[in-house]
Amino acid sequence: MSLMKAKKLFYLLFIFGCTHFSYAQEDLMDILDKELKDTAQVTLATFKMTRIAIGHSIETREKGILEIVTINRFWDTPADRSQSFVADRLTSRIALEYGISNRLSTGLGGTTWDGLFDGYLKYSLVRQKTGKGAPFSVTLFQNASYNSNALPGVQNDFVDRLSFTTQMLIAKKFSPDFSVQLAPTYIHRGNISSGDSPKNHFALGLGARYKLTHHLSLVSEYYFRANPIESFDNYAPFAIGVNWELGDVMLQFNLTNAQRVVEDAFITQTRNNFNFRSPNLNFGFNFTYVIHFKRYLK
Amino acid sequence: MIRTIIFLFFLLPQIQAVENKVIARQGQVSFFSYTSVENIKAENNQVLSIINLDNSDIAVSMLMNAFIFEKALMREHFNESYVESDIYPKASFSGKIIDFDPTIEGEQTKMVKGVFSMHGVSKELEIKTKIEKINARYVLSGTFEAQVKDYEIKIPPLLAGNIAKTISVNFRFEYEPYES
Repeated sequence: MSLMKAKKLFYLLFIFGCTHFSYAQEDLMDILDKELKDTAQVTLATFKMTRIAIGHSIETREKGILEIVTINRFWDTPADRSQSFVADRLTSRIALEYGISNRLSTGLGGTTWDGLFDGYLKYSLVRQKTGKGAPFSVTLFQNASYNSNALPGVQNDFVDRLSFTTQMLIAKKFSPDFSVQLAPTYIHRGNISSGDSPKNHFALGLGARYKLTHHLSLVSEYYFRANPIESFDNYAPFAIGVNWELGDVMLQFNLTNAQRVVEDAFITQTRNNFNFRSPNLNFGFNFTYVIHFKRYLK
Repeated sequence: MIRTIIFLFFLLPQIQAVENKVIARQGQVSFFSYTSVENIKAENNQVLSIINLDNSDIAVSMLMNAFIFEKALMREHFNESYVESDIYPKASFSGKIIDFDPTIEGEQTKMVKGVFSMHGVSKELEIKTKIEKINARYVLSGTFEAQVKDYEIKIPPLLAGNIAKTISVNFRFEYEPYES
Protein backbone atom coordinates (compact mmCIF):
# COMPACT_ATOMS: atom_id res chain seq x y z
CA MET A 1 0.00 0.00 0.00
CA SER A 2 1.41 3.35 -1.00
CA LEU A 3 1.98 6.07 1.54
CA MET A 4 -0.63 8.24 -0.19
CA LYS A 5 -3.27 5.59 0.19
CA ALA A 6 -2.37 4.95 3.75
CA LYS A 7 -2.70 8.69 4.49
CA LYS A 8 -6.10 8.82 2.82
CA LEU A 9 -7.28 5.91 4.82
CA PHE A 10 -5.95 7.49 7.95
CA TYR A 11 -7.92 10.68 7.36
CA LEU A 12 -11.01 8.73 6.47
CA LEU A 13 -10.73 6.79 9.67
CA PHE A 14 -10.08 9.95 11.59
CA ILE A 15 -13.35 11.45 10.35
CA PHE A 16 -15.08 8.19 11.07
CA GLY A 17 -13.60 8.11 14.52
CA CYS A 18 -14.70 11.69 15.15
CA THR A 19 -18.30 11.04 14.24
CA HIS A 20 -18.16 7.98 16.35
CA PHE A 21 -16.82 10.01 19.19
CA SER A 22 -19.51 12.68 18.89
CA TYR A 23 -22.06 9.90 18.93
CA ALA A 24 -20.63 8.76 22.21
CA GLN A 25 -20.99 12.30 23.55
CA GLU A 26 -24.63 12.48 22.54
CA ASP A 27 -27.05 14.66 24.37
CA LEU A 28 -27.95 13.36 27.80
CA MET A 29 -31.64 13.87 27.05
CA ASP A 30 -31.37 11.52 24.07
CA ILE A 31 -30.03 8.82 26.35
CA LEU A 32 -32.96 9.31 28.71
CA ASP A 33 -35.42 9.21 25.82
CA LYS A 34 -33.96 5.86 24.85
CA GLU A 35 -34.09 4.62 28.43
CA LEU A 36 -37.72 5.63 28.65
CA LYS A 37 -38.92 2.37 27.23
CA ASP A 38 -41.91 2.36 24.98
CA THR A 39 -44.24 1.33 27.74
CA ALA A 40 -47.74 1.58 26.37
CA GLN A 41 -49.70 4.14 28.33
CA VAL A 42 -53.33 3.42 29.17
CA THR A 43 -55.52 6.18 27.77
CA LEU A 44 -57.15 7.96 30.67
CA ALA A 45 -60.53 9.63 30.83
CA THR A 46 -62.19 8.56 27.58
CA PHE A 47 -65.48 9.80 28.98
CA LYS A 48 -64.43 10.39 32.59
CA MET A 49 -67.88 9.68 33.96
CA THR A 50 -69.47 6.26 34.11
CA ARG A 51 -72.35 7.54 31.98
CA ILE A 52 -72.06 9.55 28.80
CA ALA A 53 -75.45 11.20 29.29
CA ILE A 54 -78.24 8.65 29.71
CA GLY A 55 -76.37 5.42 28.95
CA HIS A 56 -73.27 3.80 30.37
CA SER A 57 -69.82 4.72 29.09
CA ILE A 58 -66.80 2.41 29.01
CA GLU A 59 -65.49 3.97 32.22
CA THR A 60 -65.29 1.80 35.30
CA ARG A 61 -64.12 3.03 38.65
CA GLU A 62 -60.89 1.89 40.23
CA LYS A 63 -60.79 -0.36 43.26
CA GLY A 64 -62.16 1.14 46.43
CA ILE A 65 -64.05 4.01 44.85
CA LEU A 66 -67.65 4.42 45.95
CA GLU A 67 -69.91 6.71 44.02
CA ILE A 68 -73.17 8.05 45.33
CA VAL A 69 -75.19 8.64 42.20
CA THR A 70 -78.54 10.28 41.65
CA ILE A 71 -79.91 10.42 38.15
CA ASN A 72 -82.92 12.72 37.88
CA ARG A 73 -85.32 13.60 35.07
CA PHE A 74 -87.81 16.44 35.20
CA TRP A 75 -90.66 16.92 32.76
CA ASP A 76 -94.01 18.58 32.36
CA THR A 77 -97.39 17.08 31.57
CA PRO A 78 -99.12 18.28 28.40
CA ALA A 79 -101.72 20.20 30.46
CA ASP A 80 -102.21 23.83 29.41
CA ARG A 81 -101.91 25.13 32.91
CA SER A 82 -99.89 23.66 35.65
CA GLN A 83 -99.21 24.85 39.16
CA SER A 84 -96.36 22.49 39.96
CA PHE A 85 -93.24 23.94 41.43
CA VAL A 86 -90.38 23.75 38.88
CA ALA A 87 -91.64 20.68 37.02
CA ASP A 88 -94.76 18.51 36.93
CA ARG A 89 -92.99 15.18 37.19
CA LEU A 90 -89.73 13.93 38.57
CA THR A 91 -88.05 10.57 38.50
CA SER A 92 -84.91 9.82 40.41
CA ARG A 93 -82.63 6.83 40.45
CA ILE A 94 -80.63 6.73 43.63
CA ALA A 95 -77.72 4.34 43.58
CA LEU A 96 -74.45 3.25 45.10
CA GLU A 97 -71.78 2.27 42.62
CA TYR A 98 -68.50 0.70 43.64
CA GLY A 99 -65.17 -0.33 42.10
CA ILE A 100 -64.56 -3.95 43.15
CA SER A 101 -61.26 -4.11 41.30
CA ASN A 102 -59.54 -1.75 38.90
CA ARG A 103 -61.51 -3.37 36.08
CA LEU A 104 -64.77 -4.49 37.67
CA SER A 105 -67.48 -2.15 38.91
CA THR A 106 -70.92 -2.77 40.28
CA GLY A 107 -73.95 -0.68 41.11
CA LEU A 108 -77.28 -1.05 42.88
CA GLY A 109 -80.07 1.43 42.54
CA GLY A 110 -83.76 2.14 42.75
CA THR A 111 -85.84 4.45 40.59
CA THR A 112 -88.75 6.35 42.09
CA TRP A 113 -91.20 6.92 39.26
CA ASP A 114 -91.22 3.56 37.45
CA GLY A 115 -90.41 1.45 40.51
CA LEU A 116 -87.46 -0.38 38.98
CA PHE A 117 -84.68 -1.75 41.12
CA ASP A 118 -81.55 -2.54 39.22
CA GLY A 119 -78.09 -3.90 39.65
CA TYR A 120 -75.24 -4.10 37.22
CA LEU A 121 -71.74 -5.44 36.70
CA LYS A 122 -69.34 -3.74 34.38
CA TYR A 123 -65.98 -5.16 33.34
CA SER A 124 -63.28 -3.25 31.53
CA LEU A 125 -62.01 -5.91 29.12
CA VAL A 126 -59.72 -3.98 26.80
CA ARG A 127 -58.13 -0.63 27.47
CA GLN A 128 -57.03 1.75 24.78
CA LYS A 129 -53.29 2.39 24.94
CA THR A 130 -50.83 4.60 23.19
CA GLY A 131 -48.17 3.10 20.95
CA LYS A 132 -48.51 -0.58 20.24
CA GLY A 133 -51.41 -1.19 22.63
CA ALA A 134 -55.07 -1.70 21.79
CA PRO A 135 -56.42 1.15 19.64
CA PHE A 136 -59.78 1.21 21.45
CA SER A 137 -61.41 0.20 24.73
CA VAL A 138 -64.02 -2.47 25.33
CA THR A 139 -66.17 -2.76 28.43
CA LEU A 140 -68.77 -5.45 29.03
CA PHE A 141 -71.95 -4.42 30.78
CA GLN A 142 -74.67 -6.60 32.26
CA ASN A 143 -77.60 -5.41 34.26
CA ALA A 144 -80.76 -6.85 35.72
CA SER A 145 -83.77 -4.82 36.72
CA TYR A 146 -86.73 -5.81 38.86
CA ASN A 147 -90.08 -4.17 38.28
CA SER A 148 -91.71 -3.60 41.66
CA ASN A 149 -94.97 -2.18 40.32
CA ALA A 150 -98.30 -3.95 40.62
CA LEU A 151 -98.42 -5.85 37.30
CA PRO A 152 -101.64 -7.40 36.09
CA GLY A 153 -101.34 -10.88 34.65
CA VAL A 154 -97.98 -11.74 36.07
CA GLN A 155 -97.66 -15.51 36.35
CA ASN A 156 -94.28 -16.07 37.86
CA ASP A 157 -94.02 -13.27 40.34
CA PHE A 158 -90.23 -13.05 40.35
CA VAL A 159 -88.95 -14.10 36.93
CA ASP A 160 -91.58 -12.17 34.98
CA ARG A 161 -90.59 -8.97 36.67
CA LEU A 162 -86.96 -9.22 35.62
CA SER A 163 -85.37 -7.64 32.55
CA PHE A 164 -81.79 -7.90 31.43
CA THR A 165 -79.54 -5.68 29.36
CA THR A 166 -76.25 -6.84 27.91
CA GLN A 167 -73.96 -4.33 26.25
CA MET A 168 -70.58 -4.38 24.65
CA LEU A 169 -69.30 -0.85 24.97
CA ILE A 170 -66.61 -0.03 22.43
CA ALA A 171 -64.98 3.37 22.63
CA LYS A 172 -62.08 5.24 21.16
CA LYS A 173 -60.52 8.46 22.34
CA PHE A 174 -59.51 10.00 19.03
CA SER A 175 -57.87 13.05 20.54
CA PRO A 176 -57.63 14.53 24.04
CA ASP A 177 -60.86 16.35 23.23
CA PHE A 178 -62.91 13.84 21.29
CA SER A 179 -64.18 10.36 22.14
CA VAL A 180 -66.77 8.15 20.46
CA GLN A 181 -68.56 5.07 21.73
CA LEU A 182 -70.53 2.30 20.00
CA ALA A 183 -72.74 0.14 22.13
CA PRO A 184 -74.23 -3.03 20.62
CA THR A 185 -77.02 -3.88 23.01
CA TYR A 186 -79.17 -6.93 23.70
CA ILE A 187 -82.21 -6.59 25.93
CA HIS A 188 -84.37 -9.36 27.31
CA ARG A 189 -87.61 -8.07 28.80
CA GLY A 190 -89.68 -9.91 31.32
CA ASN A 191 -93.31 -10.69 30.50
CA ILE A 192 -94.66 -7.26 31.32
CA SER A 193 -98.22 -7.04 29.96
CA SER A 194 -97.11 -5.92 26.53
CA GLY A 195 -99.07 -8.42 24.50
CA ASP A 196 -97.30 -10.16 21.65
CA SER A 197 -94.33 -7.81 21.48
CA PRO A 198 -90.95 -9.46 21.25
CA LYS A 199 -89.20 -10.14 24.48
CA ASN A 200 -85.75 -9.85 22.96
CA HIS A 201 -84.51 -6.61 21.50
CA PHE A 202 -81.36 -5.48 19.76
CA ALA A 203 -80.11 -1.94 19.68
CA LEU A 204 -77.01 0.02 18.83
CA GLY A 205 -76.00 2.96 20.96
CA LEU A 206 -73.92 5.79 19.62
CA GLY A 207 -72.35 8.30 21.97
CA ALA A 208 -69.72 11.00 21.81
CA ARG A 209 -67.93 13.49 24.00
CA TYR A 210 -66.26 16.71 22.99
CA LYS A 211 -64.27 18.62 25.58
CA LEU A 212 -65.13 22.30 25.68
CA THR A 213 -62.76 23.30 28.48
CA HIS A 214 -60.55 21.39 30.91
CA HIS A 215 -63.50 20.52 33.11
CA LEU A 216 -66.52 20.83 30.86
CA SER A 217 -67.52 18.64 27.95
CA LEU A 218 -70.37 18.40 25.48
CA VAL A 219 -71.96 14.95 25.17
CA SER A 220 -74.61 13.31 23.05
CA GLU A 221 -76.14 9.88 22.76
CA TYR A 222 -78.55 8.06 20.48
CA TYR A 223 -79.82 4.49 20.43
CA PHE A 224 -80.89 2.82 17.16
CA ARG A 225 -83.36 0.03 17.86
CA ALA A 226 -83.45 -2.94 15.49
CA ASN A 227 -86.81 -4.39 16.61
CA PRO A 228 -88.81 -1.94 18.74
CA ILE A 229 -91.85 -2.95 20.77
CA GLU A 230 -94.89 -2.96 18.46
CA SER A 231 -97.81 -2.80 20.84
CA PHE A 232 -97.40 0.90 21.62
CA ASP A 233 -95.67 3.90 20.10
CA ASN A 234 -92.09 4.32 21.13
CA TYR A 235 -89.09 6.22 19.85
CA ALA A 236 -85.35 6.11 19.85
CA PRO A 237 -83.84 7.72 22.94
CA PHE A 238 -81.66 10.75 22.32
CA ALA A 239 -79.78 13.04 24.67
CA ILE A 240 -77.57 16.07 24.43
CA GLY A 241 -75.90 17.70 27.37
CA VAL A 242 -72.85 18.86 29.23
CA ASN A 243 -70.72 17.06 31.78
CA TRP A 244 -68.98 19.12 34.40
CA GLU A 245 -66.32 17.66 36.64
CA LEU A 246 -65.41 19.34 39.92
CA GLY A 247 -62.97 17.06 41.67
CA ASP A 248 -65.00 14.76 43.88
CA VAL A 249 -68.28 15.99 42.44
CA MET A 250 -69.41 15.26 38.92
CA LEU A 251 -72.43 16.91 37.41
CA GLN A 252 -74.25 16.04 34.22
CA PHE A 253 -76.96 18.15 32.66
CA ASN A 254 -78.86 16.99 29.62
CA LEU A 255 -81.96 17.30 27.51
CA THR A 256 -83.52 14.00 26.48
CA ASN A 257 -86.73 12.31 25.46
CA ALA A 258 -86.01 9.35 27.78
CA GLN A 259 -88.05 9.60 30.94
CA ARG A 260 -86.85 6.32 32.29
CA VAL A 261 -83.39 5.74 33.65
CA VAL A 262 -82.62 2.02 33.66
CA GLU A 263 -81.18 0.70 30.39
CA ASP A 264 -83.83 -1.86 29.40
CA ALA A 265 -86.56 0.69 30.14
CA PHE A 266 -85.25 3.72 28.30
CA ILE A 267 -83.91 1.88 25.27
CA THR A 268 -87.11 -0.04 24.54
CA GLN A 269 -89.80 2.06 26.19
CA THR A 270 -89.20 5.72 25.45
CA ARG A 271 -92.70 6.80 24.52
CA ASN A 272 -92.04 10.23 23.08
CA ASN A 273 -89.81 11.50 20.35
CA PHE A 274 -87.27 14.19 21.05
CA ASN A 275 -88.67 17.70 20.72
CA PHE A 276 -89.20 20.71 22.91
CA ARG A 277 -92.89 20.13 23.74
CA SER A 278 -94.26 18.75 26.97
CA PRO A 279 -94.00 15.96 27.96
CA ASN A 280 -91.43 15.03 25.33
CA LEU A 281 -88.66 17.16 26.70
CA ASN A 282 -86.97 15.95 29.84
CA PHE A 283 -84.37 17.83 31.74
CA GLY A 284 -81.83 15.39 33.09
CA PHE A 285 -79.56 16.09 36.00
CA ASN A 286 -77.05 13.54 37.30
CA PHE A 287 -75.14 14.15 40.48
CA THR A 288 -72.23 11.92 41.46
CA TYR A 289 -70.22 12.22 44.64
CA VAL A 290 -67.00 10.21 44.69
CA ILE A 291 -65.59 8.68 47.89
CA HIS A 292 -62.18 6.99 47.85
CA PHE A 293 -61.84 4.11 50.29
CA LYS A 294 -58.47 3.08 48.98
CA ARG A 295 -55.57 5.47 49.51
CA TYR A 296 -52.52 4.85 47.40
CA LEU A 297 -49.95 6.83 49.37
CA LYS A 298 -49.11 6.54 53.04
CA MET B 1 -0.54 -1.39 11.53
CA ILE B 2 -3.60 -0.04 9.77
CA ARG B 3 -5.70 -2.73 11.33
CA THR B 4 -4.56 -1.66 14.75
CA ILE B 5 -5.49 1.94 13.96
CA ILE B 6 -8.91 0.88 12.75
CA PHE B 7 -9.38 -1.14 15.85
CA LEU B 8 -8.31 1.66 18.15
CA PHE B 9 -10.49 4.28 16.47
CA PHE B 10 -13.56 2.25 16.94
CA LEU B 11 -12.80 1.07 20.40
CA LEU B 12 -11.46 4.14 22.19
CA PRO B 13 -14.54 6.35 22.17
CA GLN B 14 -16.66 3.47 23.37
CA ILE B 15 -14.55 3.01 26.43
CA GLN B 16 -14.69 6.71 27.20
CA ALA B 17 -18.44 6.79 26.86
CA VAL B 18 -18.88 3.99 29.32
CA GLU B 19 -16.85 5.45 32.12
CA ASN B 20 -18.09 8.95 32.76
CA LYS B 21 -21.82 8.88 33.09
CA VAL B 22 -24.03 7.85 35.95
CA ILE B 23 -27.74 7.14 35.66
CA ALA B 24 -30.72 6.93 38.03
CA ARG B 25 -33.55 4.80 36.71
CA GLN B 26 -35.87 4.85 39.69
CA GLY B 27 -35.56 8.41 40.80
CA GLN B 28 -38.22 9.78 43.09
CA VAL B 29 -40.04 13.04 42.57
CA SER B 30 -42.93 14.00 44.79
CA PHE B 31 -44.96 17.15 45.11
CA PHE B 32 -47.23 18.59 47.74
CA SER B 33 -49.99 21.12 47.75
CA TYR B 34 -51.10 22.30 51.17
CA THR B 35 -54.28 24.28 51.60
CA SER B 36 -56.74 24.61 54.45
CA VAL B 37 -59.28 22.66 52.40
CA GLU B 38 -57.23 19.74 51.18
CA ASN B 39 -53.68 18.39 51.14
CA ILE B 40 -52.66 16.82 47.88
CA LYS B 41 -49.61 14.64 47.51
CA ALA B 42 -48.25 12.78 44.51
CA GLU B 43 -45.25 10.56 43.94
CA ASN B 44 -43.40 9.37 40.88
CA ASN B 45 -40.86 6.59 41.46
CA GLN B 46 -39.82 6.05 37.86
CA VAL B 47 -37.98 9.25 37.13
CA LEU B 48 -34.91 9.00 34.93
CA SER B 49 -31.82 11.10 35.44
CA ILE B 50 -28.31 11.06 34.06
CA ILE B 51 -25.13 12.99 34.91
CA ASN B 52 -22.10 13.38 32.71
CA LEU B 53 -19.29 13.48 35.28
CA ASP B 54 -16.86 14.99 32.74
CA ASN B 55 -18.70 18.27 32.38
CA SER B 56 -21.28 18.12 35.24
CA ASP B 57 -24.21 18.15 32.81
CA ILE B 58 -27.39 16.72 34.26
CA ALA B 59 -30.69 15.71 32.69
CA VAL B 60 -33.96 14.53 34.24
CA SER B 61 -36.99 13.11 32.45
CA MET B 62 -40.29 11.86 33.83
CA LEU B 63 -43.69 10.76 32.60
CA MET B 64 -46.49 12.83 34.03
CA ASN B 65 -48.94 9.95 34.18
CA ALA B 66 -46.54 7.94 36.35
CA PHE B 67 -47.44 10.17 39.31
CA ILE B 68 -49.41 8.27 41.91
CA PHE B 69 -51.94 10.17 43.98
CA GLU B 70 -53.65 9.31 47.19
CA LYS B 71 -56.99 9.21 45.37
CA ALA B 72 -57.19 7.29 42.10
CA LEU B 73 -59.45 9.83 40.47
CA MET B 74 -57.05 12.65 41.27
CA ARG B 75 -54.53 11.06 38.95
CA GLU B 76 -57.11 11.16 36.17
CA HIS B 77 -58.00 14.79 36.90
CA PHE B 78 -54.31 15.75 37.10
CA ASN B 79 -53.49 14.20 33.75
CA GLU B 80 -56.61 15.18 31.89
CA SER B 81 -57.58 18.58 33.22
CA TYR B 82 -54.41 20.12 34.61
CA VAL B 83 -51.13 18.99 33.01
CA GLU B 84 -52.77 17.60 29.84
CA SER B 85 -50.46 14.63 29.63
CA ASP B 86 -52.04 13.50 26.35
CA ILE B 87 -50.41 16.54 24.76
CA TYR B 88 -47.42 16.99 27.10
CA PRO B 89 -46.57 13.50 28.35
CA LYS B 90 -43.17 14.39 29.84
CA ALA B 91 -41.57 16.87 32.15
CA SER B 92 -37.83 17.32 31.85
CA PHE B 93 -34.90 19.21 33.30
CA SER B 94 -31.62 19.84 31.60
CA GLY B 95 -28.80 21.76 33.22
CA LYS B 96 -25.48 21.80 34.97
CA ILE B 97 -24.23 21.19 38.51
CA ILE B 98 -22.19 24.29 39.33
CA ASP B 99 -18.65 23.70 40.67
CA PHE B 100 -19.26 19.98 40.95
CA ASP B 101 -16.27 17.85 41.83
CA PRO B 102 -17.26 14.23 41.28
CA THR B 103 -14.19 12.94 43.08
CA ILE B 104 -15.14 14.24 46.54
CA GLU B 105 -16.31 11.38 48.73
CA GLY B 106 -19.17 12.05 51.14
CA GLU B 107 -21.45 15.05 51.14
CA GLN B 108 -21.40 18.34 49.26
CA THR B 109 -24.10 20.94 48.54
CA LYS B 110 -24.12 22.52 45.09
CA MET B 111 -26.42 24.62 42.97
CA VAL B 112 -27.97 22.99 39.94
CA LYS B 113 -28.86 25.45 37.23
CA GLY B 114 -30.92 24.65 34.17
CA VAL B 115 -34.20 24.67 32.33
CA PHE B 116 -37.25 22.82 33.56
CA SER B 117 -39.96 22.06 30.99
CA MET B 118 -43.49 21.01 31.82
CA HIS B 119 -46.89 21.51 30.21
CA GLY B 120 -45.15 23.08 27.22
CA VAL B 121 -43.53 25.80 29.35
CA SER B 122 -39.78 26.10 29.96
CA LYS B 123 -38.44 27.90 32.98
CA GLU B 124 -34.96 28.63 34.28
CA LEU B 125 -34.45 27.05 37.69
CA GLU B 126 -31.69 27.14 40.25
CA ILE B 127 -31.97 24.37 42.81
CA LYS B 128 -29.86 23.81 45.91
CA THR B 129 -28.93 20.15 45.82
CA LYS B 130 -27.29 17.84 48.30
CA ILE B 131 -24.86 15.45 46.64
CA GLU B 132 -23.57 12.36 48.41
CA LYS B 133 -20.94 10.09 46.98
CA ILE B 134 -20.37 6.59 48.22
CA ASN B 135 -17.81 4.77 46.06
CA ALA B 136 -19.06 4.98 42.48
CA ARG B 137 -22.62 5.83 43.50
CA TYR B 138 -24.06 9.28 43.80
CA VAL B 139 -27.25 10.42 45.52
CA LEU B 140 -28.77 13.78 44.67
CA SER B 141 -31.63 15.18 46.72
CA GLY B 142 -33.32 18.48 47.33
CA THR B 143 -36.47 20.57 47.39
CA PHE B 144 -37.74 23.44 45.34
CA GLU B 145 -40.95 25.36 44.90
CA ALA B 146 -42.92 25.84 41.71
CA GLN B 147 -45.66 28.35 41.02
CA VAL B 148 -48.69 26.75 39.38
CA LYS B 149 -49.34 29.80 37.22
CA ASP B 150 -45.80 29.80 35.80
CA TYR B 151 -46.60 26.61 33.94
CA GLU B 152 -49.91 27.84 32.56
CA ILE B 153 -51.87 25.30 34.55
CA LYS B 154 -55.39 26.59 34.98
CA ILE B 155 -57.31 25.98 38.17
CA PRO B 156 -61.06 26.62 37.94
CA PRO B 157 -62.25 29.28 40.43
CA LEU B 158 -64.46 26.74 42.23
CA LEU B 159 -61.42 24.59 43.04
CA ALA B 160 -59.01 27.46 43.73
CA GLY B 161 -59.26 26.76 47.46
CA ASN B 162 -58.27 23.13 47.03
CA ILE B 163 -55.02 23.60 45.17
CA ALA B 164 -52.10 25.64 46.49
CA LYS B 165 -50.61 28.38 44.32
CA THR B 166 -47.12 27.22 45.25
CA ILE B 167 -46.32 23.54 44.97
CA SER B 168 -43.32 22.16 46.82
CA VAL B 169 -41.37 19.54 44.96
CA ASN B 170 -38.98 16.99 46.51
CA PHE B 171 -36.58 14.83 44.58
CA ARG B 172 -34.10 12.08 45.29
CA PHE B 173 -32.05 10.28 42.66
CA GLU B 174 -29.64 7.40 43.23
CA TYR B 175 -27.13 7.06 40.44
CA GLU B 176 -25.15 4.07 39.35
CA PRO B 177 -22.53 3.85 36.58
CA TYR B 178 -24.12 4.03 33.15
CA GLU B 179 -23.38 1.38 30.59
CA SER B 180 -24.96 1.91 27.20
